[in-house]
Amino acid sequence: MFTLINAEILKLRTVRWPWVLLAVQLVLVAAGVSGFAIASGSKPMDVRLALQHVGLTSMLGLVLGIMAVAGEYRDHTITDTFLATPRRSRVIVAKAVTFTALGFLFAVLTAAVALAVTAAWLSVRGSSLDTSSAIVWQTLLGAVLWNASFTAIGVGLGAWLPNLAGAISAGLVWIAIVEGIVANLVGNDLARWLPVAAGRALENVAAPGLLAPWAGGLVLAAYAFGFAAFAVAATVRRDVT
Amino acid sequence: MTDIAVRQVSKRFGSVRAVEGLSFNAPAGKVTGFLGPNGAGKTTTLRMLLGLVRPTAGEALIGGIRYDRLRDPTRVVGAVLEYSASNPGRTGRDQLRVLAAVTGAPTKRVDEVIAQVDLGDAMNRRVSGYSTGMRQRLGLAAALLGDPDVLILDEPANGLDPEGIAWLRNLLRRCAADGRTILISSHVLSEIAQTVDRVVIISRGELRFAGPLTELGDGVVSVRTGELEQLRGLLGRQGYSVSVTGATSLDVRGATAEEIGRLAASQQIALSGLAEAGASLEASFLRLTGADESGRRPVATN
Repeated sequence: MFTLINAEILKLRTVRWPWVLLAVQLVLVAAGVSGFAIASGSKPMDVRLALQHVGLTSMLGLVLGIMAVAGEYRDHTITDTFLATPRRSRVIVAKAVTFTALGFLFAVLTAAVALAVTAAWLSVRGSSLDTSSAIVWQTLLGAVLWNASFTAIGVGLGAWLPNLAGAISAGLVWIAIVEGIVANLVGNDLARWLPVAAGRALENVAAPGLLAPWAGGLVLAAYAFGFAAFAVAATVRRDVT
Repeated sequence: MTDIAVRQVSKRFGSVRAVEGLSFNAPAGKVTGFLGPNGAGKTTTLRMLLGLVRPTAGEALIGGIRYDRLRDPTRVVGAVLEYSASNPGRTGRDQLRVLAAVTGAPTKRVDEVIAQVDLGDAMNRRVSGYSTGMRQRLGLAAALLGDPDVLILDEPANGLDPEGIAWLRNLLRRCAADGRTILISSHVLSEIAQTVDRVVIISRGELRFAGPLTELGDGVVSVRTGELEQLRGLLGRQGYSVSVTGATSLDVRGATAEEIGRLAASQQIALSGLAEAGASLEASFLRLTGADESGRRPVATN
């Protein structure tokens, strides 16, 4: 497994797309944070609204995870990968571990940029960021974990539906449209358990209508393991042609 | 000895029967050619040998073991398939470094195999700029990384110029001389006729011939004549199996050249050519792979 994870890291270092994705993520969060930090106040609860953009970038974390597997199918490199490691479940696990860690790392960088941009705007306005506020750090921690777990879910989704365009569309359409529709259909008691709601719970300190942050984290972890199980079951049966 | 054994293998994709009850062996120390027209089931069979496609029935074994049960598969089998080592965004060298890392091959092997396939300068360029021939060489380099006992190559001569084919032939002959088992597929017999010891010919997923190349043409006499229809009717009435291979040529099974010559003479049919097999490997191949009586079925299209 150690060899496999090392190989995944080397694969990452020899292609460009993960870094393009990171750049997009950092630019988006800087712009998103600015939009809020310019206009709103400097109290921790106001700052929180700006920092929550870090959580929204978990959409890109999801794409990162999907690319990890579905991208290999698209480039046909999955053939070499399975020739080297015919026990395909090990490949999926190695990718899940590697890319979840990478998603975490990207989110930490994103959080740092969000924090820096917020602090910069506050100082422009003659105010300053209250770094002693627990709300600030809890929001960022939750947002980072949301990112990492969406990357893990993405790995599962990409391995389950190895058509790259299809998997990315399915993921983004769920986030943008379907979850909202499902939430309305099933009512709030059940909607709290849906993936995006669980992610929002993770970065919101006790918000009405959402799970507690820790519960949101557990729910996302359960989704990640569930998708991984589906992914492994589908992958070992699949003919690679 | 690491032989390849395909035993009663069938594969269906939905309602399509890609391979049907196929059995053959590829022994160590020999180059076995795996021949058939496009769509005959060659690639599917090779992918079943490599654990990428699951047979519907039967088993494909390497050294008596299924690929996915091999402890260290890349040290036992090196494979070149259509898209081997072809991630367009990576350089050739990076591609090999990644594969070496995945398979646990020592890093110095990367430079060794690069030298083996003569890809020196191209290795630092992105694969997206490679010609087909360069991709084939890169794929071969990747297959050789683990110094495997068995080489399985899908259409390795595709995209190679005559010089490249000669180079490939030397490389494969050397590998076989080392005692390795080599299985190479092609849809063009002439491309690999000088490279292989044995041939396995399939058509529509079923075995048509398996044996030494020298036996392939046996029993077949090639005849040329301007009076094709008369000769064909004559031989047919005698119970010989006749297949037309061109406007003025046909292949006859079950008769010797002498018998055919006497028959033709008795009816005053002029022959412009009469040859016992050997020279007609390609014709045998066409016949075995289901070329119909008109002989116009395209087999080699690339």
